[in-house]
Amino acid sequence: MFHWLEKHPFFFSVAVFLVISFAGLVEILPNFAQQSRPTIGTAPYSTLELAGRHVYIKNSCNACHSQLVRPFKSETDRYGHYSLSGEYAYDRPFLWGSKRTGPDLMRVGNYRTTDWHENHMKDPASVVPGSIMPAYRWMYINNTDINTAFAEQLTIAQFFSVPYNKPVPMKDGSSIIVKMGGSVAEANALALEEAKVIVADMKDQDVKDAVARGEIPEIVAIIAYMNSLK
Amino acid sequence: MENHPLEYDYTVAKMFMLTTIILGIVGMLIGVILAFQLAYPGLNLMLGEGLAEYTNFSRLRPLHTDAVVFGFTLSGIFATWYYIGQRVLKVSMAESKLLMFLGKLHFWLYLVVIVAAVVSLFMGITSSKEYAEFEWPIDILVVVVWVIFGAGMFGLIGIRREKSLYISVWYYIATFLGIAMLYLFNNMAIPTMFGVSDIGESGVGVWYHSVSMYAGTNDALVQWWYGHNAVAFGFTVPIVAMIYYFLPKESGQAIYSYKLSLLSFWALMFLYLWAGGHHLLYSTVPDWLQTMGSIFSVILILPSWGSAINMLLTMKGEWQQVAASPLIKFMVLSSTFYMFSTLEGPIQAIKSVNAIAHFTDWIVGHVHDGTLGWVGFMIMAALYHMAPRLFKREIYSKSLMTAQFWIQTVGVVLYFTSMWIAGITQGMMWRAHDEFGNLAYSFIDTVTVLHPYYVIRSVGGLLYLIGFFMFAYNIYKTMSARKVEESELQNATPMGA
Amino acid sequence: MDIAQLQAYGYFTLTIGLVLILYGYIYHLYSKKKDVDGVDYESYSNMALKDDIDDTPVASMSEDKAPKSAKK
Repeated sequence: MFHWLEKHPFFFSVAVFLVISFAGLVEILPNFAQQSRPTIGTAPYSTLELAGRHVYIKNSCNACHSQLVRPFKSETDRYGHYSLSGEYAYDRPFLWGSKRTGPDLMRVGNYRTTDWHENHMKDPASVVPGSIMPAYRWMYINNTDINTAFAEQLTIAQFFSVPYNKPVPMKDGSSIIVKMGGSVAEANALALEEAKVIVADMKDQDVKDAVARGEIPEIVAIIAYMNSLK
Repeated sequence: MENHPLEYDYTVAKMFMLTTIILGIVGMLIGVILAFQLAYPGLNLMLGEGLAEYTNFSRLRPLHTDAVVFGFTLSGIFATWYYIGQRVLKVSMAESKLLMFLGKLHFWLYLVVIVAAVVSLFMGITSSKEYAEFEWPIDILVVVVWVIFGAGMFGLIGIRREKSLYISVWYYIATFLGIAMLYLFNNMAIPTMFGVSDIGESGVGVWYHSVSMYAGTNDALVQWWYGHNAVAFGFTVPIVAMIYYFLPKESGQAIYSYKLSLLSFWALMFLYLWAGGHHLLYSTVPDWLQTMGSIFSVILILPSWGSAINMLLTMKGEWQQVAASPLIKFMVLSSTFYMFSTLEGPIQAIKSVNAIAHFTDWIVGHVHDGTLGWVGFMIMAALYHMAPRLFKREIYSKSLMTAQFWIQTVGVVLYFTSMWIAGITQGMMWRAHDEFGNLAYSFIDTVTVLHPYYVIRSVGGLLYLIGFFMFAYNIYKTMSARKVEESELQNATPMGA
Repeated sequence: MDIAQLQAYGYFTLTIGLVLILYGYIYHLYSKKKDVDGVDYESYSNMALKDDIDDTPVASMSEDKAPKSAKK
């Protein structure tokens, strides 16, 4: 059988394929049968948060920051409760990262404020002396792409039944509703409302002016996203 | 038609050789810039505030990995395939117009993908998945290129004269199949332009954006099944294919044990795919998968060392060649680095070691002793062996080659030693508690302490880049060096002083 | 039987199967030493060492397919 395979490239390829796909079949496929279920208290991202997540991805923040707290005392002391699978149920793609050049951000919303982020993104070393993180000043100028975030909300609501405009159970027994616009104009209005809450805590006059004009600089979106990480 | 004697046709091999060198320079240069940015953050603004967005560490980081993986390494794989493939199957591409056309089409489309990838990554268009950053339009192009590569490969195999397939061809076939399967599954995504709003708007937002088919933990599982095996089928399997051809050929020695090479092949194919779980230890994927990843990573030493030892034993009784030929030096060191990093990897995959090593620079060090030492050295050796046969000229300078070898070796050693120390230092500091049970260090303490190692690493990387420039120059000058006869090209490569 | 159990059984049997096949392969290689065409496995190294287009193949696809006849 072996020597026969070696002289028949087609069947050889089939054999190789079977051998290499075996691990995938056993390891991965069965887990998909069990759709990942959100933990109680995990809600879908709002329009502005999702747009902020896009800003995070666009700038490859995940190249240096993980979003995965491992179950060690040193990590739970530093970052909070260890990660649970269901907390990632709405993360497409996942953003665990593979390198912690900077600290983990899984629960950064618990201990950093809008004000902190604003100063930090403008000049990291002034907030954290010795920091090697670069400044992200273009985020104060570039506007956020709300439309694409809205398109993603529409897509995940349709294809993956992400519960927008539906009650989502919280840990204290109450429930919240994450709103999604019914049209592009409505989505932008929703995002702007969220943005106004964020800029209320910000100092940068240009950013405040932009939001007053109805624009949303990237910094506002990414802070909204950071604050949602809990 | 004139009756020329039939010859191997290396047109496509030459084209890919060019991109190997150019993209190698691009990828490694960006790598060196990144290394210096970590040591001296001011360099993030090296082209001024206005261009900061494009010279920033985080924007450049995917460009570095993708340029060396999909640029340098993949080009090297293609170049060697279009060289080795013909020779071990004893059939020339000149014999089939179709195969020649496919080969050239493969190259030009590949170039289109590379340009599209570079532009999109600079713009920040990325899916965030490591080594799979491209958005769906580029993914589709990648698949087309890959299918053309496969069609050309199986076409050439179809018209072969040699009945049996040489072991290198096995590995190339595995590369083709493995990457095809992995890439397709990992990049499954739905373009967001299909989303329809309540009032019927569709095609909202940018057209190239998509959302992953998998969420959270599942996404991570698929990504690292891909990420780990992209290393398997991009950095291991095809490079083994190269060394199984070039080392015996250059040294004139038969493979120490052909049977062992066949055995290692099947064992590697079976074991490698299980090991991806070691990227997700202590994460939220099921425990049994993590354990499986650990165990299979350790067992993976066997087939890896099977190939590496087979290569070193091929030189049995011929060790004077290592001293005499810089080309053999490259290959022997390359397989030594292969042994080294396939031992280091399993050590890092042990759960308790991984607890310290994960997320630190030790992992970065591991990747680089594999890529710089094993992949880089082997691809350069392959190109050094091919160049005289492609151009019918001797290698321009043997002494330049020897100098390059030592400079790059020192570079790699500086790189991985500094990253070991940095990684373990940081891993230990993260977990240190004082006598009251509080964390001993704030996070920034564990960053500033790394500065000297980041500097050493940058210097190591810079040395490697300098060596790569010497390599490019040597190949360039080879194109106009002394002409040689066919008879000089049988085994050891002719080299000028 | 739930999916995890199926997974476990599938994994176990396939692993055992592949181990047997692999050891069967080792036994085959080292006991027979030659493949079905009577070619010693070790001589396949010559595919790399003697790989000029007019070198004789280790095992030809067919007798009449020598390079010259392929020329039109």
